[in-house]
Order: sequence, then structure tokens, then C-alpha cells
Amino acid sequence: MTLHQIELSGVNKYYGAYHALRDIDLKIRKGSFVALVGPSGCGKSTLLRSLAGLESISAGDLVIAGTRMNGVPPRKRDLAMVFQSYALYPHMTVEENLTYSLRMRGVSKEEARRKAEEVATTTGLSALLGRYPRELSGGQRQRVAMSRAIIRNPKAFLFDEPLSNLDAALRVHMRKEIRALHDRLGATSVYVTHDQIEAMTMADHVVVMRQGIIEQQGAPLELYDRPANQFVAGFIGSPAMNFVPAQVGADGRSVVLDLGTPHTVALTRSIEAGRVLTVGIRPEHLQLASEAEAGLRLPVGSVESTGAATYVTTATQPELVAVLNSRVSIRPGETLLLHLDPTHLHLFDRETQMRLV
Amino acid sequence: MRRLLLSIRDGRGFDIGLVSVPLIFLFAMAGLPLIYNIVMSFQEVDMFSLGTFARPFVGFKNYITLFSQPETWPILGNTAIFVVASIAGQFTIGFALALFFWTGFPGSSWLRGLFLVSWVMPGLVVGAIWNWILSGDFGVLNFLLKESGLVAANIFWRSDPNFSLWAVVIANIWLGISFNMILLSVGLSAIPQDLYEAAELDGANVVQRFYTITLPMMRSSIGALVALGLIFTLQQFDLFAAITAGGPNNSSNVAQYWAWDLSFRQYDFAQGATISVIMIVFVMFASVVYVRSTRHEVRG
Repeated sequence: MTLHQIELSGVNKYYGAYHALRDIDLKIRKGSFVALVGPSGCGKSTLLRSLAGLESISAGDLVIAGTRMNGVPPRKRDLAMVFQSYALYPHMTVEENLTYSLRMRGVSKEEARRKAEEVATTTGLSALLGRYPRELSGGQRQRVAMSRAIIRNPKAFLFDEPLSNLDAALRVHMRKEIRALHDRLGATSVYVTHDQIEAMTMADHVVVMRQGIIEQQGAPLELYDRPANQFVAGFIGSPAMNFVPAQVGADGRSVVLDLGTPHTVALTRSIEAGRVLTVGIRPEHLQLASEAEAGLRLPVGSVESTGAATYVTTATQPELVAVLNSRVSIRPGETLLLHLDPTHLHLFDRETQMRLV
Repeated sequence: MRRLLLSIRDGRGFDIGLVSVPLIFLFAMAGLPLIYNIVMSFQEVDMFSLGTFARPFVGFKNYITLFSQPETWPILGNTAIFVVASIAGQFTIGFALALFFWTGFPGSSWLRGLFLVSWVMPGLVVGAIWNWILSGDFGVLNFLLKESGLVAANIFWRSDPNFSLWAVVIANIWLGISFNMILLSVGLSAIPQDLYEAAELDGANVVQRFYTITLPMMRSSIGALVALGLIFTLQQFDLFAAITAGGPNNSSNVAQYWAWDLSFRQYDFAQGATISVIMIVFVMFASVVYVRSTRHEVRG
């Protein structure tokens, strides 16, 4: 018995000359919740559909629960998928939608009915079993789609941006519900989303993709705290990380930020003097400072307050965004005194955009 | 008059004005002839009373006379065979072709478009072509059947009473395939692809997907198509005129051709009208099916 429910090694996918997936290596532990995240066209959906068998892979190995699944038709992979469109069968009632997979496997009517009622109870659909999908709200349809997957007790759940058709409030609610369901069922889930917040809040393991490549994978906070490159650093986190062109000072223990005017910041370690870098600073790591401890004195460009936090954008080139967790009365044109904790600086090579280790 | 103009100007009544134009047109062009035809079926009509509306009413005498004639039941039977066989053939082959082109091989949409050529051809031209194909002495169909060993001797499709009706059925199936195929193709392409993907993941094989997804999702298309097919087949006149003229000895005669023959060749207008009224009943039934099936479209 293998510890990994799904294993991809050296997976490549071509659409004609277009290279959609490049050398994907991914191991998904049994019972884990894995999020595939990236901008549109990054290959995350293609990867999910390849797992499901709706797309064939051009090279590499796909192993599900210890069995090599390349070329096995979707119906024999025992995976359940929740589609972005839900793909409910419009001519069937909720109950018929739920029991479809059981009926296709020749489960008896009474058994199918009993299971449908059981699942409907856990997902709050009991009163809706006789309805047709067109008579349901968006959230209810979403629940039917989930229940249809649950009833099968599959080897893994595949989610293809399942929340993108819901309004913001319901999305936050369903996020928790899906995660709670995952934990209760002890299921293995692969979840595709373009929303990094969804990925960060729901998953145990986040896979960031771009242009068919896995840029980085790991625990959500590991990606947040130690992004492997500038792309991941900019993609994870909201508001996005600030990037500033910089050069290591002559002593090798400080870095000079180029914000239109030079600003020197101390480093916690030494780097070869004169090296050209990009420095990444998370908005929450720029905090108000007193006159004495201020490392940065920057002119204010604009101020936005959400009530809980204040977003200050500086009038520098490039702009910096600072998220201040207090209410500050500061107006555009005034000078902002900021403290920058050197332990929170992210250093990237200017050329390769890779993190300096 | 002022009120009428005002009602149009302020928007109230304008909708009724718009609807009344096609309604008046329909009533004048379709409603009046229909009523006139029904009235005629209860009257005694001859060449001398043709120019007047005031003809003696005879009750159901025309209907009684019609059904006492020995050829009536065989001709109505022929009509039923013609309708059922034509629709079955057109639908089955049309559906098979629609599914075939739906697989989307290179050039499939182009080829599908070419199939429409058969539908835009006039019935008389189709009839003339099939006359050649079906010809007893030199027809291509006989050649193929004989060379492949299916038949020993030439079949005289158009003059053998056992085959004459089927000669027209074959031509009519050919004529109707493309219409069926196009309508069914539209129905097929309206089925979202993700339903098939969901069904595939749910463990349904090709046959199960066809019966649980394709057919139920096509129900309204199929209902509309069969109803339209019934109407079109009952209207099919050109092929009979071109291929068999109802013969030999009424063996390929059908109601619609017989009605024309009685009215305009034997000048028995009352009998012709009576047959038409019987056909109207069937077409009305088909229309109800058509309207119901297009209204009950299932879309998620």
C-alpha cells in the first residue's frame, strides 16, 4: 500500500505544437487537500483533466492508488469531479443526479435511494431530492454537484474551479464547507482555482503553476514566507508583494533600494558587494515608525482605508503599498515614516528572478 | 378613428395592431380555405355549382360515400405505411448521420452542409432522378441488387404493385434525410459537452451515455422532428406525381394524391374535400405534438 494516492512523474502534454504541461512531478498524499493555482492558461485545468482521463497525457506516468492509469478511460479511474458549470443532468431530479453513478454500476434501486438520502442529509439537500436542477439556486446546485461526487466514495475528488460561479459571500462560506467535508470524509482532493486566497485557505499543499510548469509547491505558509521565485512571490498574497530594484552596498551588509531616490536598508547576512537584485517587501511588513527608528521616509501618494486596515501607496517610482493595521490620519503629499524589518526582506536575482538562498 | 390613432400613438393597442397583421394574413390565406374546404365536404358540389357558395347541404353523405368505396381503406392503409416507413427511415438514417458528423472529423461540417443539397431540390426533380435509379430495365438500383446477388431478376419498382409504394418511400426517405440530420445535429450540438464528461466520470459507457444523456436531452428535438415529419410526409405530392402517379391500380395511391386526383381530374370536389378534412385531423394531432414538444424544452 502506497502512501501516495496520486503520483505524477515526468508528465508532458502537447496540443499539436503547444506544450501545455512540462515535466510535471507531483505526489499527492492520501487524505491531503491539494490546490493547483495559477493564472489562466497555466495548465492547471489541463492537469486536472489529465488526472480525470478527459485529456490524455503525451508522456510520463500517472499512478492512482498504486495502479498506472495512463490510457485508462475516465469511467474506470474511480475519480469524482465537480465541474465549474456543475454539469448537473438537467433532465434528472436531484435524486436521479445523485444516484446516476450508482445506477451505472448496477446498484439496486433501494440501495441507491438509501445512499442518496444518506448523502442528502449530510449536505442539506433532503428537502430538494425531487426537484430538477433548473429549480435550484446556484448554491444548491453546487451542493448537488458535491453530493454527486460524495455518494460514490471515490479514490479522489477533483474540483475544477467549483466556486467561481457563486457570489462572494457564498464563496467564502462554501470554502469552509468543502474543507470541512474533505476532513470528515478523509478524502483526497485536488482543487483547481485561479484564486490564491482559496488555495491558501483551503489546501494543505499548494502547487503554483505557470505556462505548464510547476513553479513551486509546498505548504501554504511556506510558499508565502519563502517564495522560490519572483512569480510565486507576486502571485501569492494580497495585496501583492512590492518589488523594488536594488543593489547590494559596498560593505555587502546593506542593500540600496532604488525608489527614484536611493534608500539604504540593512541586511541580516552578507552578500557579494555590488550584486544587482530585486527586493520583495510584503505590504504588511512596512509599518509606521517613530522619527528615531524610521528606516524609510517616503512621500504619500494615496490613502485608502477599509476600516480595519489602511492601505497607503507611496509617491515613489516604483510605488510601494503598505498595509497599516491602525487608523492613521495621513494625507497625500505628507511624508510617511516606515520601519522595514530586515528579516522580512525577500531577495531575488534580477536576471533569473530566483530567490537568493 | 381618433381613438384608434391615439391608441397606437400612446403604445396601448399597438401590440394588438402588430399581431393583427399576421393574424389577418393567416386567416385570409390559410383559415378561409380551410373553412371553405370543411364546408365543401358537407355539400353537394358539381361543375355547375362550383361558382357559388350556396350549395345544398347533404350532411355526412360525402363521408358515407367515401367509406363505401372499395379503394378507400387500401389507400388510407397506403398512406399510413407511407408515413410510418418514411418517418422511420428518414429519422433513423438522419440520426445515424447526425451522430456520425457530430464526431467532428476533419471536414465534417463541410460535408454536412453538402447534404442539404438533396433538401433544396424540387420534388419533381428528385422524382425524375429516382425514376432513372429505380427503372426496371436499366436502373442502377436493380444493377446493384443483381450484381451483389440479393435478387435474381429485375424488380420493376414503379409498375409492380408489390413495390410501387416502396419506390416512392425510398425516394421520400432520401429527400427527407438531410432535413432530419440537420435538425438532429442542432439538437445534438445543444447538449453541453460537460454532461458527457460528468457521465463518463460517473462510470457510464458509450451506450449508457447515449440512452441516459443523448436521447433524453434530445426529446424535444425528436418530438418536433417527428411531428414535422408527419406533416411533410402527408404533404408529399411531387414524388407520387413524378414516380408512380398513384398506380398501378391505386397500389401506390395515398390520401393526399387521391384528394388531388378526385378534385382536379375527376372533378369530384366534394370527395376531394372530404379526404382533405380527414387528413386535417391527423395534421392537427401532429401540430399539437409539435407545439407541446417545442414548449417543453429541457435546458439546465
